[in-house]
Amino acid sequence: MLEIGELRVAYDGRPVLGEVSLTVGSGEFVAVVGPNGAGKTTLFNAISGIVPAAGGTIRFDGSDLLAVPPSERPHLGIAHVPEGRQVFPSLTVLENLQMGAYAASGRSAREQDLERIHALFPVLAERRGQLAGTLSGGEQQMLAIGRGLASSPRLLMLDEPSMGLAPAVADDIFERIVEIHCTTRLSVLLVEQRVAEALNFANRGYVLETGRVILEGDRDTLRDDDRIRAAYLGM
Amino acid sequence: MSTAQHIENFLQLLTAGLLTGAVYGLMCVGLSVIFGVMRVINFAQGEFMMLGMYFAYYCFGAIAGYVVFGGFVAPFIAALAVGPAVFLVGLLVHKGLVSQVTGIGGSTLEAEGHYAQLILTLGISLILANGGLIVFGSAPVSISTPLSSTPWVVGPLYGDEILLFVNQGQTISALIAVAAVVAFAALMANSRLGRALRAAADNPVAAVYMGIDVDRAYRIAFGFGVGITAVGGGLLASTSPFQPYVGIDYVIVMYAGVVLGGLGSLRGAFLGGLTIGLVQQLSALFLPNQLQNTAIFVCFLLIVLLRPQGLFGRAARRA
Repeated sequence: MLEIGELRVAYDGRPVLGEVSLTVGSGEFVAVVGPNGAGKTTLFNAISGIVPAAGGTIRFDGSDLLAVPPSERPHLGIAHVPEGRQVFPSLTVLENLQMGAYAASGRSAREQDLERIHALFPVLAERRGQLAGTLSGGEQQMLAIGRGLASSPRLLMLDEPSMGLAPAVADDIFERIVEIHCTTRLSVLLVEQRVAEALNFANRGYVLETGRVILEGDRDTLRDDDRIRAAYLGM
Repeated sequence: MSTAQHIENFLQLLTAGLLTGAVYGLMCVGLSVIFGVMRVINFAQGEFMMLGMYFAYYCFGAIAGYVVFGGFVAPFIAALAVGPAVFLVGLLVHKGLVSQVTGIGGSTLEAEGHYAQLILTLGISLILANGGLIVFGSAPVSISTPLSSTPWVVGPLYGDEILLFVNQGQTISALIAVAAVVAFAALMANSRLGRALRAAADNPVAAVYMGIDVDRAYRIAFGFGVGITAVGGGLLASTSPFQPYVGIDYVIVMYAGVVLGGLGSLRGAFLGGLTIGLVQQLSALFLPNQLQNTAIFVCFLLIVLLRPQGLFGRAARRA
């Protein structure tokens, strides 16, 4: 579904991503893990088109994504739940979800989508009239995920959904993500610093360090890898 | 003067202040949309208003003769026709010029972007004012209509001593201005387009993630902003004479109103404009006519000193 080949990204001539290759198959849950500054968010921004690619290819369903303007990409069925949530603070919770459904793919099934999101995150139904900027961090993260789902995407990209949240809240968010993936068979691409959790839930994973994939494989391969165990899992 | 004369004088100025203030409010809403959505300070706003005045002037001339009661309704038709016309001009100016220094690309260079925006909009303002001088000439013109010289007489009140004259043209203009503000506020609050503009204002990058073409959203906001202000200009054109340099007078009014009401809030902008209208007219109670704009400035400075977030705004907040 998503195929990234030798993608390179540079800021001011300084390489941030060097020849990253990655695939997400239909219905797959793929995790990208790695330390701060490894280029995980840059990878997502390149997929969304917020930063330009310096080289390489990104294909979505076989078509060249780099040729599609950034604001057209969500209409193809790609939902980006950004780092730091980035809800629209002066819009209400419901309006944020309606903005999620702005993309063409979300317009047809808007009512069912909204019901599904409200069932998943009941707090979003309770607070539908409240301004999103007044929600707590965990609620904003739920709203950001709900907003991503509102477009009926085929690929859900989640950038550090646990960032800045209390562990219990983060666990709850992870459970919801797994529930979404299991019930809808949506393809999920997750970027996470909480490596243990990410590798628990994902089918496959990539380890990104200083802009390069240093390791990839399915869940068990990665969890049994000595380097991973030492560096990330504290074993 | 007797007490009754004082009261009459006050009521007369209060009425005039409310009527002009409503039109100022509409103009302020236009400026506020541009700042609120794009975070661009448009120095050329007054010149777009001037374009609106001249458009209304020629439009009025073209239709007055052909419509029954032409002199009565034509100025208002002309003022409303200004909206879409200047909206289109705004789209073109944004596409050709303003978009070069704003938008997602411009916002990565926050400080540099702002300098470029200031200089660009100042340049557009000079070009429009001087271009206006070449095309329209320097002689002041005005739209004279039967209504703008006919008052409704209220009273006599207070035992025959108070007579209030309410200018009919100004009253209808004020009502049109209020209706336009309400209609635009409803569009922003309830429509898909309005939500998209507010989302692009709140967080342009996240708006791209939603599939909003932010440059296009900014373009539409710019068109709305100058179009709305120009309708205000079209309404004023039938009550006061104007020439191509009229923009600078009104841009002061608009900035004072928008800052007074609180940057970025439509309701605040309208109420701010209304307040400026009242301050301007009521200052005639204490000050000579030439100092009316001084009163606006004093009021503006007081607000900046005492309540920088504006009378009706919340403290500025951006995610």
